[in-house]
Amino acid sequence: MDDFHSAEETAFVVDEVSSIVKESVEGVIGGNVYQHNRVNQWTSNVVEHCLSQLSKLGKPFKYIVTCIIMQKNGAGLQSASSCFWDNTTDGSCTVRWENKSMYCIISVFGLAI
Amino acid sequence: MARSEAAANTYLIRPNYKHKFKAGVAKECIREILRDQLSGVQYNPEEVPTLSRSLADSIKNKLKYVGFDRYKLIVQVVIGEQRGEGVKMAARCFWDADTDSYAQDIYMNDSLFCVAAAFGVYYY
Repeated sequence: MDDFHSAEETAFVVDEVSSIVKESVEGVIGGNVYQHNRVNQWTSNVVEHCLSQLSKLGKPFKYIVTCIIMQKNGAGLQSASSCFWDNTTDGSCTVRWENKSMYCIISVFGLAI
Repeated sequence: MARSEAAANTYLIRPNYKHKFKAGVAKECIREILRDQLSGVQYNPEEVPTLSRSLADSIKNKLKYVGFDRYKLIVQVVIGEQRGEGVKMAARCFWDADTDSYAQDIYMNDSLFCVAAAFGVYYY
Protein backbone atom coordinates (compact mmCIF):
# COMPACT_ATOMS: atom_id res chain seq x y z
CA MET A 1 0.00 0.00 0.00
CA ASP A 2 2.68 2.36 1.04
CA ASP A 3 4.87 1.46 -1.93
CA PHE A 4 2.16 2.10 -4.54
CA HIS A 5 1.41 5.49 -3.10
CA SER A 6 5.03 6.49 -3.13
CA ALA A 7 5.60 5.24 -6.69
CA GLU A 8 2.95 7.59 -8.06
CA GLU A 9 4.03 10.63 -6.15
CA THR A 10 7.72 10.22 -6.61
CA ALA A 11 8.19 9.88 -10.34
CA PHE A 12 9.86 12.72 -12.23
CA VAL A 13 6.91 14.47 -13.90
CA VAL A 14 8.24 16.28 -16.94
CA ASP A 15 5.15 18.43 -17.58
CA GLU A 16 4.99 19.79 -14.11
CA VAL A 17 8.66 20.66 -14.06
CA SER A 18 8.50 22.20 -17.50
CA SER A 19 5.65 24.52 -16.51
CA ILE A 20 7.49 25.57 -13.36
CA VAL A 21 10.55 26.43 -15.43
CA LYS A 22 8.57 28.40 -18.03
CA GLU A 23 6.92 30.47 -15.35
CA SER A 24 10.26 31.20 -13.69
CA VAL A 25 11.90 32.38 -16.90
CA GLU A 26 8.94 34.56 -17.86
CA GLY A 27 8.96 36.08 -14.44
CA VAL A 28 12.65 36.87 -14.32
CA ILE A 29 13.62 37.91 -17.85
CA GLY A 30 10.19 38.24 -19.53
CA GLY A 31 10.38 41.48 -21.44
CA ASN A 32 14.05 42.36 -21.08
CA VAL A 33 16.65 43.08 -23.72
CA TYR A 34 20.04 41.36 -23.52
CA GLN A 35 22.34 43.43 -21.35
CA HIS A 36 25.80 42.13 -20.66
CA ASN A 37 26.04 43.58 -17.19
CA ARG A 38 22.76 42.08 -16.06
CA VAL A 39 23.13 38.59 -17.47
CA ASN A 40 24.94 37.33 -14.40
CA GLN A 41 22.10 38.33 -12.18
CA TRP A 42 19.48 36.95 -14.55
CA THR A 43 20.98 33.50 -14.81
CA SER A 44 21.33 33.30 -11.03
CA ASN A 45 17.78 34.46 -10.49
CA VAL A 46 16.25 32.10 -13.03
CA VAL A 47 18.09 29.15 -11.61
CA GLU A 48 17.38 29.98 -7.98
CA HIS A 49 13.73 30.62 -8.66
CA CYS A 50 13.35 27.30 -10.49
CA LEU A 51 15.13 25.46 -7.74
CA SER A 52 13.04 26.96 -4.97
CA GLN A 53 9.80 26.11 -6.80
CA LEU A 54 11.03 22.57 -7.41
CA SER A 55 11.99 22.03 -3.80
CA LYS A 56 8.51 23.21 -2.77
CA LEU A 57 7.07 20.20 -4.59
CA GLY A 58 8.33 18.21 -1.64
CA LYS A 59 9.36 15.16 -3.65
CA PRO A 60 12.30 13.01 -2.57
CA PHE A 61 14.51 14.24 -5.40
CA LYS A 62 17.88 15.91 -5.77
CA TYR A 63 17.78 18.54 -8.50
CA ILE A 64 20.37 20.03 -10.81
CA VAL A 65 19.25 23.08 -12.79
CA THR A 66 21.43 24.69 -15.46
CA CYS A 67 20.59 27.81 -17.43
CA ILE A 68 22.29 29.22 -20.53
CA ILE A 69 21.46 32.72 -21.74
CA MET A 70 22.78 33.67 -25.15
CA GLN A 71 22.52 36.89 -27.08
CA LYS A 72 20.87 36.61 -30.49
CA ASN A 73 23.68 37.10 -32.90
CA GLY A 74 23.18 34.54 -35.61
CA ALA A 75 25.53 32.12 -33.88
CA GLY A 76 24.63 28.49 -33.30
CA LEU A 77 24.50 26.70 -29.96
CA GLN A 78 24.14 23.00 -29.23
CA SER A 79 23.64 21.37 -25.84
CA ALA A 80 23.85 17.63 -25.16
CA SER A 81 23.81 15.59 -21.99
CA SER A 82 24.64 12.04 -21.10
CA CYS A 83 23.43 10.54 -17.84
CA PHE A 84 24.26 7.47 -15.85
CA TRP A 85 21.28 6.91 -13.59
CA ASP A 86 18.19 4.82 -12.94
CA ASN A 87 15.82 5.27 -15.87
CA THR A 88 12.76 4.23 -13.93
CA THR A 89 13.02 6.90 -11.25
CA ASP A 90 15.19 9.71 -12.63
CA GLY A 91 14.47 12.14 -15.44
CA SER A 92 15.39 15.37 -17.12
CA CYS A 93 13.57 18.21 -18.79
CA THR A 94 14.94 20.91 -21.09
CA VAL A 95 13.04 24.10 -21.87
CA ARG A 96 14.00 26.50 -24.65
CA TRP A 97 12.75 30.05 -24.34
CA GLU A 98 13.45 33.09 -26.46
CA ASN A 99 12.55 36.69 -26.93
CA LYS A 100 13.69 39.28 -29.49
CA SER A 101 17.20 39.69 -28.15
CA MET A 102 18.20 36.47 -26.44
CA TYR A 103 17.81 32.72 -26.10
CA CYS A 104 17.52 30.90 -22.82
CA ILE A 105 17.99 27.14 -22.40
CA ILE A 106 17.18 25.62 -19.03
CA SER A 107 17.87 21.98 -18.19
CA VAL A 108 16.53 20.33 -15.06
CA PHE A 109 17.79 16.92 -13.95
CA GLY A 110 15.93 15.14 -11.14
CA LEU A 111 17.50 12.20 -9.35
CA ALA A 112 15.53 10.08 -6.92
CA ILE A 113 17.01 9.57 -3.52
CA MET B 1 22.77 -13.86 17.00
CA ALA B 2 26.30 -12.50 16.98
CA ARG B 3 26.61 -13.11 13.19
CA SER B 4 23.52 -11.07 12.33
CA GLU B 5 24.73 -8.22 14.52
CA ALA B 6 28.10 -8.12 12.84
CA ALA B 7 26.49 -8.08 9.37
CA ALA B 8 24.00 -5.34 10.32
CA ASN B 9 26.25 -2.28 9.96
CA THR B 10 27.82 -2.68 6.54
CA TYR B 11 25.46 -0.58 4.34
CA LEU B 12 27.11 2.77 3.63
CA ILE B 13 24.91 5.83 3.58
CA ARG B 14 27.85 8.19 3.13
CA PRO B 15 30.89 7.55 0.98
CA ASN B 16 34.26 7.12 2.61
CA TYR B 17 36.32 10.29 2.00
CA LYS B 18 38.53 8.31 -0.38
CA HIS B 19 35.54 7.40 -2.54
CA LYS B 20 33.96 10.81 -2.82
CA PHE B 21 33.35 12.41 -6.21
CA LYS B 22 36.66 14.15 -6.74
CA ALA B 23 36.20 17.37 -8.67
CA GLY B 24 39.90 17.62 -9.54
CA VAL B 25 40.07 14.17 -11.11
CA ALA B 26 36.82 14.70 -13.00
CA LYS B 27 38.02 18.07 -14.29
CA GLU B 28 41.18 16.48 -15.66
CA CYS B 29 39.18 13.79 -17.46
CA ILE B 30 36.94 16.41 -19.00
CA ARG B 31 39.88 18.58 -20.02
CA GLU B 32 41.70 15.71 -21.76
CA ILE B 33 38.65 14.64 -23.69
CA LEU B 34 37.79 18.16 -24.81
CA ARG B 35 41.38 18.83 -25.89
CA ASP B 36 41.63 15.58 -27.82
CA GLN B 37 38.34 15.78 -29.61
CA LEU B 38 38.04 19.49 -30.28
CA SER B 39 41.52 20.68 -31.29
CA GLY B 40 41.38 22.09 -34.75
CA VAL B 41 37.66 21.44 -35.13
CA GLN B 42 35.57 24.09 -36.87
CA TYR B 43 31.98 24.84 -35.93
CA ASN B 44 29.85 22.98 -38.45
CA PRO B 45 26.09 23.14 -37.79
CA GLU B 46 25.50 19.71 -39.28
CA GLU B 47 28.16 17.89 -37.31
CA VAL B 48 27.74 19.66 -34.00
CA PRO B 49 24.77 17.63 -32.72
CA THR B 50 26.60 14.33 -33.12
CA LEU B 51 29.83 15.85 -31.84
CA SER B 52 28.28 17.16 -28.65
CA ARG B 53 26.46 13.89 -28.01
CA SER B 54 29.61 11.87 -28.52
CA LEU B 55 31.56 14.19 -26.23
CA ALA B 56 28.96 13.80 -23.51
CA ASP B 57 29.05 10.02 -23.89
CA SER B 58 32.85 9.83 -23.87
CA ILE B 59 33.09 11.99 -20.76
CA LYS B 60 30.46 9.90 -19.02
CA ASN B 61 32.20 6.65 -19.98
CA LYS B 62 35.57 7.95 -18.84
CA LEU B 63 34.11 8.96 -15.48
CA LYS B 64 32.48 5.55 -15.12
CA TYR B 65 35.82 3.96 -15.90
CA VAL B 66 37.59 6.06 -13.27
CA GLY B 67 35.18 4.41 -10.88
CA PHE B 68 33.13 6.66 -8.64
CA ASP B 69 31.32 3.90 -6.86
CA ARG B 70 27.58 4.39 -6.13
CA TYR B 71 27.54 7.73 -7.87
CA LYS B 72 24.97 8.69 -10.46
CA LEU B 73 26.60 10.83 -13.16
CA ILE B 74 25.20 13.63 -15.29
CA VAL B 75 27.34 15.18 -17.98
CA GLN B 76 26.20 18.24 -19.91
CA VAL B 77 28.11 19.53 -22.93
CA VAL B 78 27.35 22.85 -24.62
CA ILE B 79 29.04 23.79 -27.89
CA GLY B 80 28.55 27.22 -29.41
CA GLU B 81 29.86 29.12 -32.38
CA GLN B 82 32.25 31.98 -31.68
CA ARG B 83 30.79 35.11 -33.17
CA GLY B 84 31.47 37.60 -30.48
CA GLU B 85 28.07 37.08 -28.85
CA GLY B 86 27.61 37.14 -25.11
CA VAL B 87 26.80 33.86 -23.38
CA LYS B 88 26.32 33.07 -19.71
CA MET B 89 25.78 29.65 -18.16
CA ALA B 90 24.80 29.07 -14.53
CA ALA B 91 23.85 26.01 -12.52
CA ARG B 92 22.35 25.48 -9.07
CA CYS B 93 21.83 22.18 -7.36
CA PHE B 94 19.55 20.98 -4.63
CA TRP B 95 21.51 18.06 -3.17
CA ASP B 96 23.56 16.85 -0.28
CA ALA B 97 26.67 19.02 -0.30
CA ASP B 98 28.58 16.53 1.77
CA THR B 99 28.39 13.70 -0.74
CA ASP B 100 27.65 15.32 -4.10
CA SER B 101 29.84 17.49 -6.27
CA TYR B 102 30.51 18.70 -9.78
CA ALA B 103 33.37 19.53 -12.13
CA GLN B 104 33.45 21.74 -15.21
CA ASP B 105 35.84 22.82 -17.91
CA ILE B 106 35.79 25.23 -20.85
CA TYR B 107 37.55 24.82 -24.16
CA MET B 108 37.80 27.59 -26.75
CA ASN B 109 39.29 27.86 -30.18
CA ASP B 110 38.79 30.35 -32.97
CA SER B 111 35.52 29.04 -34.27
CA LEU B 112 33.82 27.45 -31.29
CA PHE B 113 33.64 27.31 -27.53
CA CYS B 114 32.67 24.29 -25.48
CA VAL B 115 31.54 24.03 -21.85
CA ALA B 116 31.35 20.62 -20.21
CA ALA B 117 29.93 20.06 -16.73
CA ALA B 118 29.86 16.75 -14.89
CA PHE B 119 27.72 16.28 -11.76
CA GLY B 120 28.13 13.36 -9.37
CA VAL B 121 25.21 12.49 -7.08
CA TYR B 122 25.52 9.80 -4.44
CA TYR B 123 22.92 7.04 -4.45
CA TYR B 124 22.07 6.26 -0.84
